[in-house]
Amino acid sequence: MDTHIRKVYVPMTETGFYILLCLQQPMHGYGIVQKVRELTEGTILLSPGTMYGSLSKMEKDGLIVLLREEEKRKVYQLTDLGCEVLALEKERIVRLYRNMKEVR
Amino acid sequence: MRKKIMVRFFTIPEYERECLFLQEQHRQGWKLVSVYFPGIYRFEACEPEEVVYQLDFNEEGRKELHSYVQIFRDCGWEYLFSFMGYTYFRKPVKAMQQEEGIFCDDASRLDMMRRVFKSRMIPLVMLFVLVILPQTFLQASQRDGSLHSFLFYTYVVLFAFYLYIFVRFFLHYRRVSRQ
Repeated sequence: MDTHIRKVYVPMTETGFYILLCLQQPMHGYGIVQKVRELTEGTILLSPGTMYGSLSKMEKDGLIVLLREEEKRKVYQLTDLGCEVLALEKERIVRLYRNMKEVR
Repeated sequence: MRKKIMVRFFTIPEYERECLFLQEQHRQGWKLVSVYFPGIYRFEACEPEEVVYQLDFNEEGRKELHSYVQIFRDCGWEYLFSFMGYTYFRKPVKAMQQEEGIFCDDASRLDMMRRVFKSRMIPLVMLFVLVILPQTFLQASQRDGSLHSFLFYTYVVLFAFYLYIFVRFFLHYRRVSRQ
């Protein structure tokens, strides 16, 4: 993993994390919006400008790959690099959670 | 159908003010139909309504307009048109459950400003450094005839205008990046 990827994605934004989390399965942008709304019980509503910008940036950086287009909706999935970045971020969040529990 | 035309100028970093202006017009019963020249807005009479207007600046998106617009439509935003690199969207407040915009975090707001900066501000800065700055001083040193005076004042005005745009952009950028 090169320094650019580390600098941009470790740690990443909440939006970025949810996108990678969802794209372990093939999904399109609006599918991610719906999934995240469901997961967070409506608390997090991702916006289309943010979603479109994030997806195209992640595709350019090689974290996700375009699989196909379904009725004008682009379906993406994680690449190996994307999986690696997501694993790093999960580790970070687990550590954060553990520390939150331990330190009082 | 009643129509009206309004002239309003917004400098490069003022797209948020432009959105508020359009929202205010809609609140008064005038919905945006088109922008047909920088600063010239055409409206059509409509039922007064609270509608949020948003501008995106995304060259990639405009190249593949179908899939770009589709995700906005899915999220309930009406695509209006693209003008001078900006894409115009609107969504009625009654269709929202919470306060909504086309961006939901500051990272993506900052990304949009960077895209505007890259394609709009850099050419302006070049023009400023290569033409307006040297010309202002050149004209200042040669002020004898009336022609030179005229040129001098023209460049002074341009100089001030450019500085104004740069300062506004800088302040706006700093505000967003600090949040």
